[in-house]
Parts: sequence; structure tokens; C-alpha cells
Amino acid sequence: MLRIRNLFAYYGAVTALSGVTCRVREGEVVALIGANGAGKTTLLNAVCGLVRWQGEVTFQGRSLAGMAPEAIVGLGVSQVAEGRQLFAPMSVAENLELGAYRRYRREERGAIERDREWLLELFPKLRERQEQRAGTLSGGEQQMLAIARALMARPRLLLLDEPSLGLAPLVVESILATLGELRAQGVTILLVEQNARAALKVADRAYVMETGRIMLSGSARDLLQDRQVTRAYLGRDYKEFTEGR
Amino acid sequence: MRQPEYEALASEDLEQLQLERLQSTLTRAFRQVKFYRRQFERLGLRPEDVRSLGDLARLPFTTRADLSENYPYGLFAVPLRDIVRIVSSPGTTEKPLVVGYTSQDVKLWLELLARLYTAAGVGREDIVQLILPPGLANWRRDLQAGAEYLGASVIPAATLNFAKELMVLRDYKTSVLVTTPSLALHLLTVMQQMDLVPADLSLKKALLVAAPLPPPLRREIEEGLQVRACTAYGITEVMGPGLAYSCEADGGLHFSADHFYPEIVDPVSGAPLPEGAEGELVITTLSTLAFPLVRFKSGDRTSLLTEPCPCGRTLVRLGEVRGRVDAIFSVGGIKVHPRQIGALLSQALGGHAPEFHCQVATEAGLEILDIELTVAEAFFSDEIKALEGLCRRVRRHLQDHLGINARITLKELAI
Repeated sequence: MLRIRNLFAYYGAVTALSGVTCRVREGEVVALIGANGAGKTTLLNAVCGLVRWQGEVTFQGRSLAGMAPEAIVGLGVSQVAEGRQLFAPMSVAENLELGAYRRYRREERGAIERDREWLLELFPKLRERQEQRAGTLSGGEQQMLAIARALMARPRLLLLDEPSLGLAPLVVESILATLGELRAQGVTILLVEQNARAALKVADRAYVMETGRIMLSGSARDLLQDRQVTRAYLGRDYKEFTEGR
Repeated sequence: MRQPEYEALASEDLEQLQLERLQSTLTRAFRQVKFYRRQFERLGLRPEDVRSLGDLARLPFTTRADLSENYPYGLFAVPLRDIVRIVSSPGTTEKPLVVGYTSQDVKLWLELLARLYTAAGVGREDIVQLILPPGLANWRRDLQAGAEYLGASVIPAATLNFAKELMVLRDYKTSVLVTTPSLALHLLTVMQQMDLVPADLSLKKALLVAAPLPPPLRREIEEGLQVRACTAYGITEVMGPGLAYSCEADGGLHFSADHFYPEIVDPVSGAPLPEGAEGELVITTLSTLAFPLVRFKSGDRTSLLTEPCPCGRTLVRLGEVRGRVDAIFSVGGIKVHPRQIGALLSQALGGHAPEFHCQVATEAGLEILDIELTVAEAFFSDEIKALEGLCRRVRRHLQDHLGINARITLKELAI
């Protein structure tokens, strides 16, 4: 579904991605894990057209080169950015409605309504708080709302940036469990996480990134048992462990 | 098919998978192994310069001499505490060959061995008997582990004489025999001596490993034992057996190209050869963690067949292995370099470097090394007993160091 080859991205003189090749197949949950600064978020931003990049990125066989972010959303790619970026003064219901803004002109209201119903079922907490302002929700609830809002656009591919950031472990677990549910319903997900252990529990496959390159890839189950990943998860540089052998 | 999601992957998807794995392997090799880092730096390249599978050809080869120079741990890409298995074998240089495995590597390896057995039609209900010489310790261990992993009933290699091996084969109702082509031929001769016929056995398949299996040899074994023969290709440097394996349709050996990238190059110039051409097989590991190898020169002469195979696997096939591109040869599956023979002879003869000539011969089907030793004055004796002792010493030395059987003939020095 999403195929990336030799992706390079720069922030001024700093190389954030140096030749990343990876893919996400339809119906998969794929995790990108690695320490801070490894380039995970840059990769998501490149797919969304938010940073300049070189290389090849295709979504369902179509090149995303030079496409504007809103056109990419139009193809069915939605991102839930790190830090949620909700419309804080607006209510939960309004935030959800805005998530579907590109659909109102083209689709019947019934379909959008059905999706809202489905999402409120998936996140019962949001149903209880429909009229509450987004800014007053707890961190976990805000994250749920951010995911639900992205899903209101009916994306084919959902990009999630650090959904566990700043949340209590129990809340993280419940949010990630929801991702399993979404996968069962056919949503394809590319998940960026520093919390590798949590991410690998819900993902099918994962890529481990280190300073702009992919160091390892494999099934999430295998990587969960891998000692190198345990280190990436701890956020330490791999090199220090190879000294003195 | 054990893993159709990989073994029958569409070519475009396989290529993407290979490129992903190749790039991360090169990154790990570059960042974690000094030898590879220097190789890149010498050419002014970085891992990100390899943007396609074809770009791999820009990198230099890794040879057996490189492995020897970096003995023992210089090419390991993970710290020792992540290594769960350190495999040694005599190798073909003066130093042993060392290969490390992480627990993930071992797991991958078992899965590849299970692929091999599944393609050979071996399943849980089979009784698998291994008859492999101690010199093939790595093949013994791997093929035993693979069959056990698959869930078959396994009779590990034992130190029985061949008559007893055949009793086991008959009485335990072995359905799959795992051995070398040379030992299979030898078993046929022992069967004749024992008046055993294939109908007395429950044998259905023979997996013949560690040496090439040219079609006439294969037919001889298939007819003699009344079995279906299958084969596998592997080299210890690149994990061992299971690199490539024959399939139900029998059209060459499917190369596990999702984990190992094969190239065929001109053995002299090193230039990549066009599809289908015969040349030296060069292998790059794509998944192994502990011991990544970049463009390892196998020394085996073969070709790659890319046409689709009726079995449904899309993995490229290895054609027949037609010998070596270097001086290394195999005695009953054990690889030997003539230089090693020279060095061992000199050790056995107290430092004298003798003139010798050697070739592989068969004795009752069994491959042995026939060595013609020119007697020099320094170690000549006019006592027959002393000369016999000398032959015995040389034989034992070769058996101890290489695990091969030798036949020594002495030749007078021509004056």
C-alpha cells in the first residue's frame, strides 16, 4: 500500500533521513521504533508532504512526489500528529465533525453519521464527553479524540505519531488495544513509537531506526525478543555495547 | 510449502523486501564491523549509496582469506553477550572458521531448515535417520535440529558401523535417510554384502547433502535404494545447509533469496554475469544478525535460473553446482584446500615439505583422498615397518585435522 525507497530528508544542513526503504501492506499495523532523533517523525511528515524529501514514495501505486499535504489526505492518508493538536476550545463533537470536513461535499451524511457512531462505540469515553471542550479532556481522552478525528476522514492509511506520549501506562495499553481493534476492522496503520515494547505488542511488523537509517526489521514478535531492540527501546546508542569484545 | 508468503512472493515484493533487508544489513555491517567500514571507506562509499540491488556490485567481495584475517570475532556485528552459538569448523585456511549466531539467527535457521524438509516432502510423521561423518559436524547438528523442529522423529548420527546403520535403517523403519552422495553409494555396496534389498526397508526419500549431486549419481542412488532423492545446498560460512533446496518439481535448488542475496560473477574479473550464465556464486546475507557477510565469494561454480518453477515457488533457483572456481575440493563433503594438505603432510613428517600429488578416489563408494607421496631422503627408511608407520602417521594426522580418510602410496624419488 505504502512503498518507500531511498528516502532522504534534510533540515537545513542536518540529514534527518538518509536512504530509508520500507513498506506498509494493506491491513497491517507497522511500527517504526527507535530513539529520539532517529528520524521516525520525519518519515511520517515526509509521507504527509510536510517536509521536503528526495527518493520514492508511492501510495497505492501512485507517486506522492511534489503533492500538497491536502492532496495526500485526499488520497486517504491521515496523520495523528504528536501532541494531538486538537481544537481545544471546541467540543468533542465539533472536533469529530471537522475530521470529516473533506467528506461533507462528496458523501451522504448517513455514511459520516455511521462512522461517528462506530467511533463512539470504539471510544465510549468520547460519547460521554461529546459536549465537553476538547481542551478539558484528560491526556488519554485527548489522544482517543485525536485518533477518532483522524478516522472520521475514513483514511486508508492512518499514521500515528507517538500516541503513548505522556500517558499513564494503563491508558497507553487501552489506546494501543484500540489499534488492534482498528486493524481487525481493516484499517492500515503506520505507528511511530518510542515506547517500543508497547508498539511491538500491537504491531505485525516493525522497523528499528537509528540516526536516519533502518537498522533492523522483522515481525513484531521476533523483534520483541531481540536484545538489540531492547537497547533501542532504552534509547541508547548501539555502538557503546560493541566496545570491548 | 512451508512459508508461501515468502517462498512464493511476487517478484516486485521480493525485490522490495531484499532491498530493505540489504540496506539495513549494510548499515549494521558499516556501523558495527570495522572490516566492512574500512571496505566502504576505501571506496568513498556509504551504505546509503546502495540504492538498488544492482548497486551491491559496487562493493568489494569478502573472501575466505578475509574471514581468516579477522579470526576469531572480527566480523561479528553484535556484542558477544548476544551470541548464543559459536560454530567452528576446520575451514580451508590455517585458522578455524568461526561463525556466530544470535538466538534470532538460530530461529531463522531452523525455519529455513524446515522449509528444506517440507520441500523434500518430509513431515511430522516421518522417521529421519542421519548418517553423516563426524567431519560434517555442522551439517549433522543443523539437519538434526531442523528435522526435530519440524516435528519428525529423528535418529541422530551415531558412530555405528555401516552394517549396524543398515540394521537401524531397516528395523526402526526409517522413511527418510539424510546422508552424503558418497555415503549413500557406500551403503549400497554394504547392502549387497548383507543381502539387503530395498524392499526390506521402509525408506521413501534420501536427502543427499554436502556435495554436488550430478544427475547420473542421483539416478544411481535413486534406483539402488528405490527412493526419491532430494538435495540441498549450503556453506558453513553462510550458516550451513538450507541456503537452497530442491523442490517437488525438481527443477534446480530454490535459493532462500528472501534472506540471502545471490549473484553470479566472473570468477576472474569479478564482473556480474548476465542472467543464466555460469560463474561463481557470491552471497550476501540479508537477515543474519551476528555474522553478516557482504558479497561472500563461495567458490562454487553454478548459475541462477529465473524462469518460473511449476512448484509455485518464486525464489530463484540454483542450477547444478559444477565444481569449484578455486583449488578447494571436497572429500566426502568436507572442503579441503591443497595448501592445507601440504601443510599437514609437512607437520606429520617433522617439518619436511614433501612433494605430493593428491586426488579424490572412491573405495566401495566412499570418497577418500588418494595421496601419492614422493619419498625424500630426509624421511626415507629402508625398513618397511618404519615406512608403514610413516603412512599410518600421515593418515591419522589428516583424519585428526580434517576428518577425512586418506590412502597413502609412497613413490620413489626419481633420480
